[in-house]
Amino acid sequence: MHSRVLLWSALGLALLLVMPWLLLQALPQNQAQFWTANILGRGIVFGIIAMSLTFLATYGGFISLAQMMVAGVAGYTLAIFVDGAVPRIAGGLGYGLAIPLAILAATVMGLIVGAIAVRTRDIYLLMITLALAMGIFRFIETNIAWFNGYEGIRNVVGPDVFGFDFRNAYVFYYIALGTAGALYFGVLYLVRTPFGLVLQGIRDNPRRVAALGYAVGPHRIAAFGVAGFIAGCGGVLATIYNIGISPGSIGLGATVNVLIMSVIGGLGHPIGAFVGSLVFTFFDTFSASIYDRERFNTLIGVVFLVIVLLSPDGLLGAGARLRKMLGGRDAP
Amino acid sequence: MTIPAIHLAGVSRRFGALHAVRDVSFDVAAGERRAVLGPNGAGKTTLFNTICGDFPPTAGRIEFFGADITAAKPHHRTRMGIGRTYQTSLLFNGLSVLDNLFIAVRGLRPNRFSFLRPGRDDSGMQKARELAERMRLSHLLDSEVINLSHGQRRQLEVGMALAGDPRLLMLDEPAAGLSPGDRPELLRLLRELPRSLTLILIEHDMDIALPAADIVTVMKDGEVVVEATPDRIESDPVVQAIYLGGGH
Ligand SMILES: Nc1ncnc2c1ncn2[C@@H]1O[C@H](COP(=O)(O)OP(=O)(O)OP(=O)(O)O)[C@@H](O)[C@H]1O
Ligand SMILES: [Mg+2]
Repeated sequence: MHSRVLLWSALGLALLLVMPWLLLQALPQNQAQFWTANILGRGIVFGIIAMSLTFLATYGGFISLAQMMVAGVAGYTLAIFVDGAVPRIAGGLGYGLAIPLAILAATVMGLIVGAIAVRTRDIYLLMITLALAMGIFRFIETNIAWFNGYEGIRNVVGPDVFGFDFRNAYVFYYIALGTAGALYFGVLYLVRTPFGLVLQGIRDNPRRVAALGYAVGPHRIAAFGVAGFIAGCGGVLATIYNIGISPGSIGLGATVNVLIMSVIGGLGHPIGAFVGSLVFTFFDTFSASIYDRERFNTLIGVVFLVIVLLSPDGLLGAGARLRKMLGGRDAP
Repeated sequence: MTIPAIHLAGVSRRFGALHAVRDVSFDVAAGERRAVLGPNGAGKTTLFNTICGDFPPTAGRIEFFGADITAAKPHHRTRMGIGRTYQTSLLFNGLSVLDNLFIAVRGLRPNRFSFLRPGRDDSGMQKARELAERMRLSHLLDSEVINLSHGQRRQLEVGMALAGDPRLLMLDEPAAGLSPGDRPELLRLLRELPRSLTLILIEHDMDIALPAADIVTVMKDGEVVVEATPDRIESDPVVQAIYLGGGH
């Protein structure tokens, strides 16, 4: 199981590496650029945020609905402190400092969410994380002094990276892909460490983990901190992609979207986050041009229902079942 | 007089109105093999839980090699040298055999909380492999526990209980639910345990319990009703009443 996933991940990564070039061969330049940045790049960025949810779900058995909010904490921290954002809230920092600060803030927020939810499980965990997310959302929406209320903060254009402009579609794409790849393989590493193994132990049997001498609470909180770090990286990229951030990007709709992406892909493995987010982004982009905006929710709802009905464990599970049906003997 | 491995003095455990264990007092000598028999609901598992700390006693006193452990946390007791298995398996189903053993080993060490992946020569990993070998599970190191047979799961349970090199090992119905084919293997594993290890064994089946034990304790309704050597147990009138006469 493990080596096969690694192989598929490496293949997927290789494909994504050459995709921009392939698109340029197949499409006119402006369309190729659109696909690269607005579909693949955006999909990967939201995949990072979705992976923070999948990481907790796969290895801890925790479904957190606070991950989009945590990503938003990174986005807002960046927008508040970076020079050039409009309106200027605090300012004074370049991207080199504002980005690490933003990711740190998201990590701390993750730890806080973990600490608040440390004794809850299942539906109660879902509700408490949702309540936290909505509470922060309402606070930000109504606070002008720090968050500029419902208008949000604009003009977060992103840094020059070694002389390359972040606003260039390809620069953005490869930074997003590199970040996603590093985080993804980081997660695969982490779950083989004692911390990761104990986290999976907590998922399977928290009482036994405690009896074996581990402190269950701190491990859970740390897992939320790790998820906060991941979501923070995604939040920074999403904010720069959108050239700013507003409360809508962390509202109920956005929160549910991240959950839908994760479930579409499958919660059995972190790669599902990226499968789900790419599928979601694809439908998000094209249903809007096929139908009007209102219909998008209907379409994605139908896609979601079909996938969940056919395969409760998402597209990953569907893939595994398909292999089995086609006679692959080693399918799980 | 030598210090007993376990000294129970008036140990009781209540669950609300239910008196699951009632004023139990006995000693188990170091190196002894003790079997605990008794009908369903007699309080055998609850007695284990008071000794290992999962449900500490509500009254009475427990000493482990002379140290008062009545109120100690379960993992402190594990670190002091008490290992146990559970009647219903409490393994980590989504993890491999090796990882289950590794978690058990690592939990007893000071560097428990770590973000660094253990290398191949990590002492905890080596210990986990040794335990797997002792439990004859070496060929299944990378199998997920959910795919193991019932007998293999029982073997793994014993392996995890041995992770802390316990001085006292408590086995809760290790052979329960095993197929006749799996039983001899488990019994052989138990017989191979070093003689220095103190062993308390809960067992329903007298044919397994009696040959393995030095002394047998019989419980009923939370109380110890008989304590005797195996050869005297089967002819004991109280035991016969419990096992043959429906309990009166
Ligand atoms: N955690 C608990 N909460 C409430 N009651 C409990 C708990 N654990 C055990 N009991 C009760 O205590 C009594 C003794 O149970 P225990 O499990 O110790 O019996 P046992 O001798 O191990 O029986 P068996 O042979 O069926 O395993 C039972 O009536 C049981 O319902
Ligand atoms: Mg029992």
